[in-house]
Amino acid sequence: MSEKILVHESRDLGTDRRVVQKQLQLGLALSFVLMAVGFLLAFFTAGERVESRGYRLDEFLGGAQNSAATLMFAGVLVLALTPPLRVLMLTFLWGREKDWKFVVISVIVMITLLVSVWLGGA
Amino acid sequence: MELTNLALIGMLASGAFAGLLGALVGVGGGLVIVPTLFLIFGVDMKVAVACSLVGTVASSTTAGSVYVGKGLANMRLGMFLEIATTLGAIAGGLTALALAPHILSGLFGALLLVTSLLMFRAQDQSLKIKPEVVSDGADQVVEGKEDQGGFSGAYYDVYHRNLVPYQVKNLTMGSVVSFFAGGLSGMLGIGGGFIKVPAMTLGMGVPMKVASATSNFMIGVTAVASLFIYLANGFVHPLIASVIALGVVVGALFGTTVSQRISPTLLRRIFGVLMIFVSVQMLLKAGGG
Repeated sequence: MSEKILVHESRDLGTDRRVVQKQLQLGLALSFVLMAVGFLLAFFTAGERVESRGYRLDEFLGGAQNSAATLMFAGVLVLALTPPLRVLMLTFLWGREKDWKFVVISVIVMITLLVSVWLGGA
Repeated sequence: MELTNLALIGMLASGAFAGLLGALVGVGGGLVIVPTLFLIFGVDMKVAVACSLVGTVASSTTAGSVYVGKGLANMRLGMFLEIATTLGAIAGGLTALALAPHILSGLFGALLLVTSLLMFRAQDQSLKIKPEVVSDGADQVVEGKEDQGGFSGAYYDVYHRNLVPYQVKNLTMGSVVSFFAGGLSGMLGIGGGFIKVPAMTLGMGVPMKVASATSNFMIGVTAVASLFIYLANGFVHPLIASVIALGVVVGALFGTTVSQRISPTLLRRIFGVLMIFVSVQMLLKAGGG
């Protein structure tokens, strides 16, 4: 197999990788900014000690926290949703390529993740 | 709990160290984060595990995005093994409630010790395969590829400047090991890469760098499966999780820029030393009950 053919194949199949890479980068960048701004807000507005506590998702949605914690929690949520979104994205990309075996595999992963969300809320 | 500014800076540094290790050897970072939070900063174990999982997702997403772009991570193989790791992560979270921590630590340490010794003895099979393409230009980088509809592929080794093909085998064994790795992830807040990477290199015919990149790619989904459970129950402290995640991202970005310049042998030895260190820690903890 010549180098030319290999590089050509790499570019064709590389579309999936580009899309996934961009999606991961976007999710990471957004969560990084949210967490960084929240952290700096907490760090510079508090004194020598900073209060830290956990929040359940329903508490967070109910607005039980200060603005710094809101930003940081939102960052954590965006980060936590980035890998499942990657699974969803690959499901569509592989579906477009008619790579059905891997569409089924990614759907199974997605269902398993939904089960974990259900178990968490149960 | 209250945290001093010094403690926050210390957590940031430990996150950066964990991210660096994660990017270099495919370890998600939990092996560093959980003991640091629990033993040094006095964070509750469940909170430490939950925040470590956030750091683990950050590490995987950072390194994964880079390795996917370079064609190092095999997305199809990763997705297939994620079925087992996510099921394992859910089962792990439930099992942790029933088992005594020192029993888990003992099993964990013993397994790590055996695997790390095997890693030192192992030869990278990819080095024995005749490359399909050899690049003459120092600056030319040929991207890796994966076969559509299958699990095999090829990766470009910058260190040796060649495109290295590989065939994936023993998927059943890989799934069993991945389930176990996912279980440990859910129980202990780790990525499970230290188990998956040797399984892929020693048992499935996957080259070290592809195994490391694919493991990193998978870890985010695995960690999220159990993170949702911790998140719903209030164990995630936004402050600690954010500090850890921010450190991890910076460390992982640095790690991914230098990883391809490192020899596979050196990479494996770093990995082996890390595993021996962690296994001794776990066995000591188990002995202490």
